[in-house]
Amino acid sequence: MLYRKKFQSFLFKVITILMAVIFMIPIFYAISSSFKTNSEIYSYPPTILPKVFSVQGYQYIFQSLNFVRVLYNTLFVSIIATVITVIISIMAGYAIAKGNFKGKKLISNLMIMMVFVSIGVTLVPVFIIVKEMNLLNNLWGIIIPTVFTPTGTFIAIQYMKGIPDEFIESAKIDGATEWQIFSRIIFPLSFPLAAVLTIFSFTWRWGDFVLPLIVISSSNLYTMQLGLATTQGQYLISWNAIMAYSLLSIAAPLILFLIFQKLFMRGITAGGLKF
Amino acid sequence: MITENSVSSLNVTQKKRRKSNIIESRFIFLIPSLIFFAVFAFIPLIVVAIISFFSWNLLGPMKFVGVENFINMFEDANFWGTLMVTFKFESMVVPMTFVISLILALLLYKEGKFNSVFRAFFYWPYMAPAVVTATIWAWLFSTNTGLINSILMSFGLSPVSWLQGSFTALLVISLAQVWEGAGFMMMIFITGLEQIPLEFEEAASIDGANKFQVFRYITWPLLRGTSIIVLILSIAYSWNNFTLMYVMTTGGPGYATTITSLYIYQQAFIEFRIGYAAAISVITVLISIGIAMVAMKTGRWEV
Repeated sequence: MLYRKKFQSFLFKVITILMAVIFMIPIFYAISSSFKTNSEIYSYPPTILPKVFSVQGYQYIFQSLNFVRVLYNTLFVSIIATVITVIISIMAGYAIAKGNFKGKKLISNLMIMMVFVSIGVTLVPVFIIVKEMNLLNNLWGIIIPTVFTPTGTFIAIQYMKGIPDEFIESAKIDGATEWQIFSRIIFPLSFPLAAVLTIFSFTWRWGDFVLPLIVISSSNLYTMQLGLATTQGQYLISWNAIMAYSLLSIAAPLILFLIFQKLFMRGITAGGLKF
Repeated sequence: MITENSVSSLNVTQKKRRKSNIIESRFIFLIPSLIFFAVFAFIPLIVVAIISFFSWNLLGPMKFVGVENFINMFEDANFWGTLMVTFKFESMVVPMTFVISLILALLLYKEGKFNSVFRAFFYWPYMAPAVVTATIWAWLFSTNTGLINSILMSFGLSPVSWLQGSFTALLVISLAQVWEGAGFMMMIFITGLEQIPLEFEEAASIDGANKFQVFRYITWPLLRGTSIIVLILSIAYSWNNFTLMYVMTTGGPGYATTITSLYIYQQAFIEFRIGYAAAISVITVLISIGIAMVAMKTGRWEV
């Protein structure tokens, strides 16, 4: 019996590792390709590992593609949008989970329904509104329209529901104002939630493509995704450079994830993704 | 007695009133979110409905044309084609994502070092931007320089032009979408599994149930709510997002990988048929809201 159980758990581990290997193949091949030379990258049949280790691709990115500027734009957009999203989502989550006002149900249901109405279908009106605000070809034009997120709002509501009412009640008895309750009790209790929202929001904004595609036109204001997508078509750029670009473009969210991983996992299990 | 009672009941109502005032003042905290929601999510839906009755090329004046855009749409074979492509795409992505993420969650939901390390591995692709996913997968499946064809060739098979064939292109895009989304759905399944008390499983195994029986008769029924959420979210996240198609195939060959939202983009920002694009948006939004309503009802997914 015990022997069988041990074998079973061993088997499950093998299956897990096998699936992880399959999942990592695309990343592995991208890394391997990014270190090939310009000539090896087009050799036929392709090599699995680079014969000659080369950083030509990375050099090209930094020398020819205005990469620092693009990186700055992307960080600017992702960080500012994330800060706004985290703050307004926590506030909205608190208002909906602990508040009681007319139309609460309607508003919160409408907000969450927006998970089905992505930018893909509201492209035209969002473009017009951004244009009317004079934010076309402006980094703020790809920040402001994205800061409300239905998923973030939903996660915040669920998390806030998990905070016991007694905490708020006892603060109220001690004479705390609404603002004090929020800033001294709710906000400090929301760090795991903030970690989840930060990682999600940063990942989303870092990866945004469709909105920048229609709002940004000058290459000086390109974000990394826009840069990556347009360089593929326009220039005679070698694929080792494109792979290098892709990998550099995963790096930022990955670093953020590794920093916040523990808090993130706690936030997720503490109700963040409990539906 | 009577007076005492009425005094205390007066106190209670006063207290209640004060409490409800305080609670209502929490509405203030919703205002920032509400403004962004209104301007960039709700109002666009109304604007798109209005524009759908006009003919407009973005630069010239708008001309009211009644329901002409909608009539054109119903007669446009390409539009129906893109709806079909969307449907095919979803019917590949949703079941695959569901099964893979459920298997991963079952393998990894228990606490432990091994499990937490591997959870992160499967979660990573979700953090890769869609453009990057598209770029890497297009490279992986490229005809002459892709790893997949080189593996096929090492087994003596002939290379396949993956992204040039109608069916294979959509298949590769679906796989890329599954690769990107499965880790996120796995996380949702894990939180669902963590809510099932361990005692249930233990009791069943003491009674002699094997792993499969435990899953079939205990875990699976208790996971119903979570399963519905995963289904809903995999539909919601994939079906209006055309980034993968835009980068990997630009919707081709022909319209074989043009989902409806990509078609809207093409009509609006390449053909400059803004009114027509808006009309298609209206139909797509109506379908979205239909799915959302059903989803929120069946999943008891309210707040």
